[in-house]
Amino acid sequence: MTIVNVEDASATAAPVPELKAAEPGRRRKSHTFWVLTGLFLAATCFIMLSPFIWTIMSVTKPTNVAFVDPPVFLYQPTLTAFVDLWQTTEFYRYLGNTIVVAVISTIVALAIGLPAAYALSRVPGWISAVLLVLALVFRALPRFAVVLPMYEITKSLGIYDTTYALALALIAINQPFSIWLLRNFFAEIPPTLDEAAMIDGCSRFQVLRRVMIPLMGPGILTAGIFVFLFAFQEYLTALILTDVNAKTVPVFIATQLGQTLPMLQQAGAAAVLLTIPVIGIAFIAQKYLVAGLNAGAVKG
Amino acid sequence: MRRREYAALIAPSVIVMFGFLVIPLYRTIKWSLQNVDYGHPGTFVGLQNYVGALTDPRFGRAVLFTVGLTLTATAVLIVLGYIVATLINQIGRIRPLVLGILLISYVLPHVVGAAAFSWLFDSNFGGVVNYIITSLGGPEILWFTDPWPNRLMICLNVVWSMLPFAMLIILAGLQGVPEEVIEAAEIDGASSWKRHLHVIIPSIRGVLGFAILISIMDILRVFDNLIPLAPQAVSIGNESIMLYIYNEAFREGDQNLGVGSAVSVLTIILILIMLFPFIRGVFREAKAR
Repeated sequence: MTIVNVEDASATAAPVPELKAAEPGRRRKSHTFWVLTGLFLAATCFIMLSPFIWTIMSVTKPTNVAFVDPPVFLYQPTLTAFVDLWQTTEFYRYLGNTIVVAVISTIVALAIGLPAAYALSRVPGWISAVLLVLALVFRALPRFAVVLPMYEITKSLGIYDTTYALALALIAINQPFSIWLLRNFFAEIPPTLDEAAMIDGCSRFQVLRRVMIPLMGPGILTAGIFVFLFAFQEYLTALILTDVNAKTVPVFIATQLGQTLPMLQQAGAAAVLLTIPVIGIAFIAQKYLVAGLNAGAVKG
Repeated sequence: MRRREYAALIAPSVIVMFGFLVIPLYRTIKWSLQNVDYGHPGTFVGLQNYVGALTDPRFGRAVLFTVGLTLTATAVLIVLGYIVATLINQIGRIRPLVLGILLISYVLPHVVGAAAFSWLFDSNFGGVVNYIITSLGGPEILWFTDPWPNRLMICLNVVWSMLPFAMLIILAGLQGVPEEVIEAAEIDGASSWKRHLHVIIPSIRGVLGFAILISIMDILRVFDNLIPLAPQAVSIGNESIMLYIYNEAFREGDQNLGVGSAVSVLTIILILIMLFPFIRGVFREAKAR
């Protein structure tokens, strides 16, 4: 199966190596075109990054100049806000909760979604069709329609404000979309491969475990990144289903917003601390996100 | 595949979807027909909650605001996404770097991204945007309390946080357009503008449709972004449908679960209607495959 990513997309379109295929197109463009393209993209990157740049500046300022209007651009940087964040709040615990919930819900959602996606990609018919439509509809569902009842259910079961209740809710919410993504990757593996393995004596489940899953590496990684991101970003569900113990970083940052100025600066520091690993994710993920989209998720 | 194997493979997923999504959904539908509070059994009131929501001018404003925001932001997203994707498709070696930078706003939790975004505009945070505007001779703008500037800021933020995804989808589509087709159009003397309009855009129709679908689905549900960006949402009429449900059904004070649930149900119906063409396509394809 071919997973196409940005770098080698043109290479798969034509057997010629990428650089050669692109060269004639490049030579045709004028010098001005390249300068303008470069400027436009540089400006776009700057605008997209500007909120982070400003946040980093605001949280490294001493508190007495951090909030003055007109803004101060030159200052003696300090890390007080980070120290305060660490000492006066339970940020590390919220960060732990966020990571635990995201990791658990990603693993379970994939473990449930994989076999279903495999079955859906191999068996046509109305059951598969209904399941796939449900997966699409659940992806678009207004969260409150399921999260408010979950609030009541978790309260009556006594599991309100626990990390595993939140993880369960996110598994339920994100699992349908994992089927949707994974099915497209399975669809690219020819069914003749299943048959060959079964002639060699594999059962259906062995085919899935021994043949499909090893072949699905990039697909699983792509779906995993998406599901992890959704769980990691989730604000609404965590807002409703958690209170003190299972609070996640997005909820923490939002509750800091209406408070005093030092707390606001701590929220900024928390946002910066959250952004740094996210930049890593963005750079690793870009390749796989495009791969996931290319592999047929957007066939239409 | 044998019937039993098929059932075993889909069982965990069906159980999770049924137990954790269908049952809560059923409860929301039931609540929408009741006068009810958390933890207590409700009393059946028929369609009273629906009438209550539909006659509430605040709900009307929320629908108008949400639909207006969805249409505007989707249009901007698609146009900007197409332009940025086209340019990124031209560059070679630095592409991973540019993509990585552009993706940051998509990868960050929306509420955190929106908070960082609001600090650019917030005079409590130095107000750097107003500083730039006033030093260029513009007026001091009340981004958080004036309805239209607030709407503009929300729209900018939605575009900021969703542009990377729209751009990625379109980029994936652009890479599927065969080089020969574009070259043929060039040889036939089509100008750059015409090439885009008559050759490239029609051949990535499906991808653009998908990008529009995802944008509409996600912006109709906008909630997280408004928490930092529109603290005055109710009084200046910038409440989204989701925020309306939250304020009605959850926020402390006057919890009106029945009305909130009724609005959830109405939103589901609206989304189903909008998704109908896609649902039909998916259904046919999955059945026939």
